[in-house]
Amino acid sequence: MAEPLAPAASHDHDHKPYGWRRWVYATNHKDIGTMYLVFACTMFFIGGFMAMLIRLELFKPGLQFLDPQFFNSMTTLHALIMIFGAVMPAWTGLANWMIPMQIGAPDMALPRLNNFSFWILPFAFTLLLSSLFVPGGAPAGGWTMYPPLVLQTGASFPILIFSIHLMGASSILGAINVIVTIVNMRAPGMTLLRMPLFVWTWLITAYLLIAVMPVLAGAVTMLLTDHFFGTTFFTAAGGGDPVMFQHIFWFFGHPEVYILILPAFGIVSEVIPTFSRKPLFGYEAMVYAVASIAFLSFIVWAHHMFTVGMPLAAQLFFMLSTMLIAVPTGVKVFNWTATMWKGSLSFEPPMLFALAFLFLFTIGGFSGLMLAIVPADYQYQDTYFVVAHFHYVLVPGAVFGIMAGVYYWLPKWTGRMYDLKLATWHFWLSAIFVNVLFFPQHFLGLAGMPRRIPDYAVQFTDWNMVSSIGAFGFGLAQLLFPYIVWKCARSGERVGKKAWEGAHGLEWELPSPPPYHSWITPPSDAVIARGAAH
Amino acid sequence: MPAHTSTVHAAPPDEAERRRRVRRSALLLALIAAAFYFGFILMTLVRGWK
Repeated sequence: MAEPLAPAASHDHDHKPYGWRRWVYATNHKDIGTMYLVFACTMFFIGGFMAMLIRLELFKPGLQFLDPQFFNSMTTLHALIMIFGAVMPAWTGLANWMIPMQIGAPDMALPRLNNFSFWILPFAFTLLLSSLFVPGGAPAGGWTMYPPLVLQTGASFPILIFSIHLMGASSILGAINVIVTIVNMRAPGMTLLRMPLFVWTWLITAYLLIAVMPVLAGAVTMLLTDHFFGTTFFTAAGGGDPVMFQHIFWFFGHPEVYILILPAFGIVSEVIPTFSRKPLFGYEAMVYAVASIAFLSFIVWAHHMFTVGMPLAAQLFFMLSTMLIAVPTGVKVFNWTATMWKGSLSFEPPMLFALAFLFLFTIGGFSGLMLAIVPADYQYQDTYFVVAHFHYVLVPGAVFGIMAGVYYWLPKWTGRMYDLKLATWHFWLSAIFVNVLFFPQHFLGLAGMPRRIPDYAVQFTDWNMVSSIGAFGFGLAQLLFPYIVWKCARSGERVGKKAWEGAHGLEWELPSPPPYHSWITPPSDAVIARGAAH
Repeated sequence: MPAHTSTVHAAPPDEAERRRRVRRSALLLALIAAAFYFGFILMTLVRGWK
């Protein structure tokens, strides 16, 4: 629970710029973190609106509202916006806010680069969204951009490629900044194995980003030259190989899944001990498990393309290596459970979101194991079962992880407690409707409904209606979130430096809200040791 | 004294040396990223020639 009323210990002698200059020229990690989070929230609602259109069209069989080409554009843009515009910037926003405060650093190591990384994003997504208004419409070949289909995109093709390059550049620069900060800016005494799990998961995520975002950039550069400069990297007619694109794309794409989810593991590893009032069980095992998952993510990519055709030995390798990921993932799930065992649990909104993450992400993990089985995958490929699987991983996984993180640290950022009752409503509505939305999609997929279609056979009607009702409920419930944040910032009850009694970590040693420039003097070893109570 | 202004802490590393390390590690990571970008394009090119 929140600490009783305490004056906001904010002796603000900070000389911060005011007005638009504060944001446009921002180099302060907290300001940049806020901008990332606001941007991610905006993109979440734009991408979410597209999802509502998709579910509206799929409410009934037959074509109701959307032209099929526009429907395909919606599925393509929804994915690109949610992955690159909502979830990844949200993680970068949380990293910006929390990493310097958690490692005792005054700021990120490269503040101007930090500003540049952020300001690339609004241009990238304005560009991508502008493709809706060019002749031929927005890209509609799916976020995977498989050739030869994607090469048939009209005038929006170069817009797509350029915006992907911009998103990639932003991510790579952000990742460089995170690694350099963690490696070089830790307070004396903040050893690697004293770092909070959120910092660890972000460090590993940043290495993944450095390794795979350039691979995506390389793949789309080759698509660009195939389209405009007569090369035939992926054009069979010129001796190229379209399947090669799929291998390269998924070499990026599978680690990308872990880029989206690893920081959530870090958040859950912060939240569960706080609200269980116990140290995290098996801290070192958690670090090794995250590192193992990251390593394995590089050697499983072809499980996305079993039906493309590959030698039996390759199928076996990719099937078994994929299943191997269940081992470190199991370590994490059991460690979180063991942390709660005999703990003094309480169920504030961050804990509720973390618990829902634990249950529902595990469902997404299990359906992933089903998809890893080659002969079963032949049945499930390109059906709604796959849609259900990855949405369980990304919505109650990544998005709930972000919600848990925001509800956990919001009192620290604002110095005020949010409306706990309203946030609990937000949780329950989200948790119920997310299952109404995605669970029936397992049944639809097993019954053979293909993904990425605006129309379907009548036998799929009932579960599609249920799924769409879940989507509308989930979408409406999310409107509570910005209201809760706004209300908290305006009129929430003031909290002391430790908003949650069970919280540990350097960020909780700072006043709430923290000063504009925090940890100008590094924390003492005793403070670091007190924070690293794992 | 507030915890965040405690004076009991280990000696901070030399600031100039830290700046050098920041620059060096940022450049190294940028080079690794560039290597992945060009490496994958080169690999696809070489495969096409076979």
